[in-house]
Amino acid sequence: MFRPRPKQEEVLKYRSGKMGVSAVPGSGKTYILSYLAAELVAGDLLEEDQEVLVVTLVNSAVDNFASRVASFIRQRGLLPNIGYRVRTLHGLANDIVRERPELLGLSEGFQILDERAADQIRQAAAEAWVRGNPLSFDDFLSPDLEQRQLDWVRRKPWPELVNGISSSFIKRAKDLRLSPEDIKRHLGDHGKPLPLAQMGWAIYADYQRALAYRGAVDFDDLIRLALRALELDEEYLERLRHRWPYILEDEAQDSSALQERILRVLAGPDGNWVRVGDPNQAIYETFTTASPRFLRDFLDEEDVVPGKMPNSGRSTLEIIELANHLIDWTREEHPEASLRDALALPHIEPTPPGDPQPNPEGLPGHLRLVDQGYTPSEELRAVADSLARWLPEHQDHTAAVLVPRNQRGFDLVAELKRRGIEHVELLRSTRATRETAGALGNVVSYLADPASAKKLATVYRVWRRDEREDDEAKARVQQVARVLGKCRQVEDFLWPRADRDWMSELDRSRGPDDTLEKLESFRELVRRWQGASLLPIDQLILTLAQDLFQEPADLAVAHKLAVVLKRAGDLRPEWRLPELTEELAVVARNERRFLGLSGDDFGFDPERHKGEVVVSTVHKAKGLEWDRVYLMSVNNYSFPSAQAHDSYISERWFVREDLNLEAETLAQLESLVGEGGQYREGEATARARVDYAAERLRLLYVGITRAKKELIMTWNTGRRGDQQQAVPFIELRTFLEREEHGPTP
Amino acid sequence: MTQSVGLSLTEQQRAVVERPVKSKVFLEGPAGSGKTTAGVLRMLHLLDSGVPAEAMLVAVPQRTLATPYYDALHSPDLAPGGQVTVVTMGGLARRMVDLFWPLVAEKAGFGQPESKPTFLTLETAQYFMARVVRPLLEQGYFESLVIHRNRLYSQVLDDLNKAAVVGFPHTEIGGRLKAAWAGDPVEKRIYDEAQECATAFRQHCLDHNLLDFSLQMEVFVKHLWTLPLCRGYLLNRYTHLIADNVEEDTPVAHDLLRDWLPHCQSALVIYDEDAGYRRFLGADPESAHSLSELCDETVRFTGSHVTSPDMEALASRLARSLDRPAEPASGNVLSVLSYEFQRYHPQMLDWVTGEIERLVTEEGVPPGEIAVLAPFLTDSLRFSLMTRLEQRGVPARSHRPSRALREEPSTRCLLTLAALAHPRWGICPSRFDVAYALMLAIEDLDLVRAQLLAGIVYRNQDGLPALGSFGKINAEMQDRLTYVLGGRYENLREWIEEYAGGPEAPLDHFLSRLFGEVLSQEGYGFHRNYDAGEVAANLIESVQKFRWVTDEALAEGEKPLGQEYMEMVEDGVVAAQYVRSWRLQPEDAVLLAPAYTFLMANRPVDYQFWLNAGGRGWWERLYQPLTHPYVLSRHWPRDAVWTDENEYQTRQEALYRLTRGLIHRCRSKVYLGISELGEQGFEQQGALLQAIQRVLRQVQAEENTTPLRSGGAPDV
Repeated sequence: MFRPRPKQEEVLKYRSGKMGVSAVPGSGKTYILSYLAAELVAGDLLEEDQEVLVVTLVNSAVDNFASRVASFIRQRGLLPNIGYRVRTLHGLANDIVRERPELLGLSEGFQILDERAADQIRQAAAEAWVRGNPLSFDDFLSPDLEQRQLDWVRRKPWPELVNGISSSFIKRAKDLRLSPEDIKRHLGDHGKPLPLAQMGWAIYADYQRALAYRGAVDFDDLIRLALRALELDEEYLERLRHRWPYILEDEAQDSSALQERILRVLAGPDGNWVRVGDPNQAIYETFTTASPRFLRDFLDEEDVVPGKMPNSGRSTLEIIELANHLIDWTREEHPEASLRDALALPHIEPTPPGDPQPNPEGLPGHLRLVDQGYTPSEELRAVADSLARWLPEHQDHTAAVLVPRNQRGFDLVAELKRRGIEHVELLRSTRATRETAGALGNVVSYLADPASAKKLATVYRVWRRDEREDDEAKARVQQVARVLGKCRQVEDFLWPRADRDWMSELDRSRGPDDTLEKLESFRELVRRWQGASLLPIDQLILTLAQDLFQEPADLAVAHKLAVVLKRAGDLRPEWRLPELTEELAVVARNERRFLGLSGDDFGFDPERHKGEVVVSTVHKAKGLEWDRVYLMSVNNYSFPSAQAHDSYISERWFVREDLNLEAETLAQLESLVGEGGQYREGEATARARVDYAAERLRLLYVGITRAKKELIMTWNTGRRGDQQQAVPFIELRTFLEREEHGPTP
Repeated sequence: MTQSVGLSLTEQQRAVVERPVKSKVFLEGPAGSGKTTAGVLRMLHLLDSGVPAEAMLVAVPQRTLATPYYDALHSPDLAPGGQVTVVTMGGLARRMVDLFWPLVAEKAGFGQPESKPTFLTLETAQYFMARVVRPLLEQGYFESLVIHRNRLYSQVLDDLNKAAVVGFPHTEIGGRLKAAWAGDPVEKRIYDEAQECATAFRQHCLDHNLLDFSLQMEVFVKHLWTLPLCRGYLLNRYTHLIADNVEEDTPVAHDLLRDWLPHCQSALVIYDEDAGYRRFLGADPESAHSLSELCDETVRFTGSHVTSPDMEALASRLARSLDRPAEPASGNVLSVLSYEFQRYHPQMLDWVTGEIERLVTEEGVPPGEIAVLAPFLTDSLRFSLMTRLEQRGVPARSHRPSRALREEPSTRCLLTLAALAHPRWGICPSRFDVAYALMLAIEDLDLVRAQLLAGIVYRNQDGLPALGSFGKINAEMQDRLTYVLGGRYENLREWIEEYAGGPEAPLDHFLSRLFGEVLSQEGYGFHRNYDAGEVAANLIESVQKFRWVTDEALAEGEKPLGQEYMEMVEDGVVAAQYVRSWRLQPEDAVLLAPAYTFLMANRPVDYQFWLNAGGRGWWERLYQPLTHPYVLSRHWPRDAVWTDENEYQTRQEALYRLTRGLIHRCRSKVYLGISELGEQGFEQQGALLQAIQRVLRQVQAEENTTPLRSGGAPDV
């Protein structure tokens, strides 16, 4: 039976009004918020048509919440799924917009473009702009570039940068609720030339027009439009306020200004709104208007009852001390004074005596900050070595390697694969999604090139892919695939003439006994698939999926892929199989956020992966915990501290004076509407450094607090060998040394 | 619902059917109470009583609703005689316009009164609308509107139709919509733009003698019905009226009936309570009900020939759960409701097809007694269900095929070959399209060889497509492709070459010849493929209709008709889909249909499956930013703003009517297919599911039992 801690109990007593709870990592906030939701649902506070609205940040959390609330409700003998609704903010915005689309000039069939489709449209707009303005931005390029470099920059990195800038510009413009027409008007009124904002506007206008033409909106439009609907129609707002008399918000520190506004409007001046979050875990702020400041300000509001959840039984006392020291050092001694509010109190406190979740005991040497400066590949090898030693002895433990960026994760995965170390990826899209897309992609790719024996052999491997687990079976599959790959004329196998059947000429000694049988059933299948290649793409995918997959989750992903490809094809009627294959390949290669459906995407549970290592970005690891955690690449590039020697990912080498053009563009945009004062070149770049460094400090804090019993941090010297230990890394290492040699304070 | 003369009647039906000839009855009642049966038998009774068939007019709002009348009139038991006229008001309007054209053309403002009128189908009207609106789009019209361009055309057409069937001048469209607009005031300009498009289109139609549906209705109502010659012709000829499902008809149709009824000798006006499913097309149950005042008496049928008390209880509880008034009915709801929660959408489809298979194979339910219903049926969904049922050996039919005409492989094959035969059009199909076309056109040509062949013989020469000769391929490749197939290809190629060398034929003629002279011959793909043959026939018909109405318009622009047609198909403006007659499909088969289509077919079944019960589609009306079925109705006060309360109540009411209509057409059981995540992977918690959960919660509370698990109550 669940017994709340005293501080948790205070939160659970909530019945009305506004409450803000700051919760430290591992304090059980998701648990308490779910519990509170169940209490409210069960508590006779709701009318038949009312719901408790639970809002959270990412999709995976939605499922976690929904199943938790359902189980608490079931424990009370009630039907689950009634009286509450769990949504991400985007999901909520979608609900709001979908109910009154005509209010916003949308037709009922309006589409929400996923990131990939939106990217393609924006990229086309950006490229068109670059072509139309080939030299106008040479002023921003470094004067040191040689002609050869200059030509290349203009051809490749520059258009990419413009695309990236326009992406941030459009997001920010939408967050500021500025339409292209608004910006155009402001630009006209402004007087002084703002070339970056001008560029952003031109691409934005083009992009919006393209969306409207297709009857589509993007993710950011959803938020903007939802708020617009609430403002336009008072009655509608009142109806929604009635429907959702309680709003419980998790991860409140990551809400953007607009997202916060939606909830504020929905709650109303006298509404019931509980916000739970940890300002120290705000890690989604770069180039967004999200800021931990909003939550802190909320906690300070007059009518807000503050709550605290400072106790955490997750980590050993030593790990807690390390995290707390990071807070103290940042607040008091960070060399860059403007960063000292990046982390805030309260400290993490261990659980009180007698708590059902006591903090684990630390073993000697369980905290290691490796001083040695590895090259990037040495660091990968060192971590893999360590895992290879540790995993076999700790089959009932959980472990994760956390990386600051996806690419680093892919590199590590490649190393782990090479060594045959069991691992699970928690990177951009899940392996299951990628494998489903990959399997379909291979078959479609063959159907686009049906005379290729090599591709046919790949299809055979895809078809028998379940046998991969068993070495012997795998070898047999490989053998048959090799035989197939050598078939000179595929039609002699698939559609043989009476006088020339590749199968009958096949050297029977070359394959395993049942080779012929396998090949015959394979032939049947491929013939059917070839027939299906005439169908519209969604129907082709659905047909293939029925033959290739058994798992419900795989079939669901395939179904979704079918729908997505059909839409892509409708937008580009000239597309044929090769282009559609490429779409699948993009999902399979993990280049696009694809809202997957597989079990992995929902409520990832580290406990289900004992004896394996989970590879994840720090961002994705939020809310999760492992016995042993490796934190990689803690250098001054991934975790800069606004120091003179730091380099920044957003400052490109070919841009003059290390300008961060993305930040400069946004500053120009903001100056148009009177935010951030007069635009002066370079100021935004400097500010962006501080903002980025602050977010990376919090990211480090999140990484550290994922560890229950053991924490290992490493760093590398970067591609060019000139990167250094991150400043906080040095500080924490020194702190540890002091701790080990001196008395515990 | 096939009826025969010998069908046994209930007392209340007999009382209506056997009334003296000269009586006018307004008959109302809920769905399933036997009203249409009474209507059909009344028609037969009148014929028996010596009323001449020619004097009888049966008016229905939509052709599918005429089926019971047609079936009875085609019954072998029926004595030979004249022809009863069964018609929709739109159909009547068109016939009259055609008949009396010379008398009204000039008065109605047509530019060429001495020439014949051209009646537009929905497709061709859309085509002309596109021609009118496109230049305006280039000028930035509708820029703030997020909508696919084809929908924009159809919505402006819809506005014109609303004006015609509701009976207000089409010039008021923009003003009415603007007055009701509650959104951003800046956005009001889109209604001015819509008005401009509607006006321009109407002018274009008048100038060129084109009559879309709205103009047919307007000419009939304004110029023919007021013309003594025409009015006299109708009133004198049809003295016996039967109007069924008047609640689904439009105010203008009711106006006509209102004028007509006093002149008839007999009338039976049938009104279905709780219906009005065609509101989005202008249906007006309120104005329909006022027709009762013109009848001698009103009869109300009660009870149901379809639903059981348990089913009534479900309807009643669901109604109350939606906040609608309903008499409490005692009955066991759980005995007529079955459902299971699945996590994923495809699992839900598996469950549904599994249950259907069980019903058919284990319980001996005829497949025709099962309907699978959803608010919308996407092509993917239809295809998924069709293939699943096929795999389980359960026959299934759908209200339309799962592919639009332009996506049919046979259509693509024909159009690709048409492009190759008309290089002058400059349409170069992709190599894939050519390979697929050859694969379908040539019997036994497989995909591998088709791709090899297309890769070698198909060339794009300076933007013009060209096919090379098989004879010029190297011998080794000829051997791979085989000489038999090569010969067939060569035949086809020579036919195309010969055609291309001669004068260009109209596209439909070309397609007929291609089909007749080559593709349907032995050795070619359409030889024994009847489905492909049917698709070809449909395509030819579509092209033909397109040619009949556009010939003149195209002559102005000098673009060949075929080229224009192909571009329109590619654009989705025309030939997006076609309605294949239901009768061509197996009768005893599971029906897959959108819920409203099922309602309008008015044919009860034993078992219904409601797909995706958690989806929001069940509670959504068609949102059309450029038109509005409620604002453009007679009841909407001018200058009133359409508020959220209106919207909410409308939707609750629509969901209530929809579910009630479905339940009243279900004899044994409703199955709910529910998946937590929808087709796209988003969580679902739609209004229908919530309403049903409220019902279950009540039932649970009353019975005070623990919730049922899987197969019972929702438990996620």
